[in-house]
Amino acid sequence: MTLQWGYKRAFLRCALLFVAGTTLQMGLGDIDNSFLRYPWGLIIAINYVYLLVLIHFQQERWSWLKRLSDHYACTSSLVAMILMTMIFGLTRQDPATEGLVGALGFSRMTSSWSFNILLLYFTTTTGLAVMDDLHHIRKRRVAAVMSHLAVFVMLVAGIFGSGDKVRVSVNTQLNKPVHMGVDRAGKPTQLPFAITLKEFKMDEYPPKLYVLNTATQTSSRDFLSVEEVGASMVVDGWELTAEQYIDMAGRMPESDEYREMQHIGAAPAVLVRAKNTLSGEEYRGWVSCGSFIFEPSYLFLSKDIAVAMPRREAKRYLSRIEAENEKGETEKFNIEVNHPAKIGSWHIYQVGYDTARGRWSSTSVLECVRDGWYSAVHIALWTMLAAGVVMFVTAGGRKPRKEEQR
Amino acid sequence: MSWEQLIWFAAAATLCWITGAVLAFRSKRWWTAATASIAGSVIFFAYIVGMWIALERPPMRTMGETRLWYSFFLSIAGVAVFIRWRYKWILSFSTMMSVVFICVNLFKPEIHSKSLMPALQSVWFVPHVIVYMFAYAMMGAVTLFALYLWLRKREAEATEMGVCDNLVRIGWAFLTLGMIMGALWAKQAWGDYWTWDPKETWAAATWLSYLLYLHLRPRLKDNNIAFAVLCFSFLLLQMCWYGINYLPSAQGASVHVY
Repeated sequence: MTLQWGYKRAFLRCALLFVAGTTLQMGLGDIDNSFLRYPWGLIIAINYVYLLVLIHFQQERWSWLKRLSDHYACTSSLVAMILMTMIFGLTRQDPATEGLVGALGFSRMTSSWSFNILLLYFTTTTGLAVMDDLHHIRKRRVAAVMSHLAVFVMLVAGIFGSGDKVRVSVNTQLNKPVHMGVDRAGKPTQLPFAITLKEFKMDEYPPKLYVLNTATQTSSRDFLSVEEVGASMVVDGWELTAEQYIDMAGRMPESDEYREMQHIGAAPAVLVRAKNTLSGEEYRGWVSCGSFIFEPSYLFLSKDIAVAMPRREAKRYLSRIEAENEKGETEKFNIEVNHPAKIGSWHIYQVGYDTARGRWSSTSVLECVRDGWYSAVHIALWTMLAAGVVMFVTAGGRKPRKEEQR
Repeated sequence: MSWEQLIWFAAAATLCWITGAVLAFRSKRWWTAATASIAGSVIFFAYIVGMWIALERPPMRTMGETRLWYSFFLSIAGVAVFIRWRYKWILSFSTMMSVVFICVNLFKPEIHSKSLMPALQSVWFVPHVIVYMFAYAMMGAVTLFALYLWLRKREAEATEMGVCDNLVRIGWAFLTLGMIMGALWAKQAWGDYWTWDPKETWAAATWLSYLLYLHLRPRLKDNNIAFAVLCFSFLLLQMCWYGINYLPSAQGASVHVY
């Protein structure tokens, strides 16, 4: 099989773009996208799209411009992106990486020149396909037009809007208004509103009991989930039975007994009976995961084997906040994972809490995100979703048109 | 319902699927084969629903659970393609692949925790996983068919290549739906629709590779290149699905850990 000249030329173009990118990477280091902040990102994006329109309409006059939108360009840009994405996937993304991988920028792929130049080439071929689609819309498949357009909008917004995204992490404490946070680079950033954490609430999954080997530091694969008193299961040859369960428990320093304690720092405790299924050997005692106040308790079955309860897993956690804007207007929100709050152009996300205190956490970590380009991306994402549906519905049963074989 | 009951449901479903695969070749009435295959899928789905109820969450979190859906959707994809295009071989393929994944679940049981972390508690979780599993199933079927066409001595006919194209179009449509649903979900959960997480990176590579196939095919005279691209794309899909669990560069760097 011999490769057509058109393919050779297109792949050579990609190789040259890669070499140019690598040279820039070696000479200038990573791309700093801060110059793409509003309004410059928008101005450059508009000019870029205008340039694509010009290229599209000047193709008849200067035939070499066609080489940016023919199927050789399309194939070469796709192959280049597949290869770059594979390198991306195979390289650990760690800015501290040294050596050749670090020097080529592969360990910081999103800021590397070669990746971004080839991404721009891919965006250009996609953009020109969009122009061509729109120009000959009646002759095109609906799904292809929608996909090209949606991918192009997402790429343009992703590239030229990258400098506009602001992410500010805010550590809120109960009843203390905060209007400052830190951005991803660790720079203190002022917010246009003040956030006050009014309440932090957490639901947890039932406690789980594992058989732990303290010598090898390994735990059993199976576990007993204590959903009710009387729950029982055979774990690593031991029949574990929950005889008593206290959701909020505590114990005196000199005592082994747990009792109900309605207080901050209370920990779940289970009175466990463990019976060896072979020997019939039986042990009984309290097991608890402890808390920031209480030490954990184990039930030892031999010198190295014990029944243990890891910290309970969070089912859901919620921050009740009050946000006050610059005009002094306040608004109340409940923020959960997957349920952000929206204040003007900002979204506030639930990120974390004080894991050492768990359900008793009095702090909540929130992240305020402003992404001016997301509206365009949002529409593009839904267009792409619709394109997928259209493609599924129309798949098969029709031969490609002559225009598509161009 | 628990994992212990899987073998009984799987046996009944497999019996129906094999009956359907045989009837596709033997019976003159196509709907008998379709009915038998659908019956198998219904039995298998009943098990999934049972697990859903027993676990008190969608069974989509662990690898074993996603394999359940993969087996189910392979059978559905097989019967859907059979009903639409009447390819007799497809039911044998889908049955074989469904059974392989059931066997993996039977012989390599994993511990299945009941907990579902807060980030997974989203309206996008179920459609995202289901759509991806359907896409994987379609791509699995087309890869096997492409290998069959590639390895046999006779040159593939235009209609056979048309089958590959149709299956890839459907699979790619579902890959797209899965990826976009993931992006919408990620925006809702973390504020970013794309973060180049290792899973996302390999999903992008897979999506681009099948897209390359779709763009290459109308102008391609040599079918061998088409088959090679299909097999290569499926390797990328494996990397995306579970390969990253073993990839050193992805260790500790992905939120898609299960």
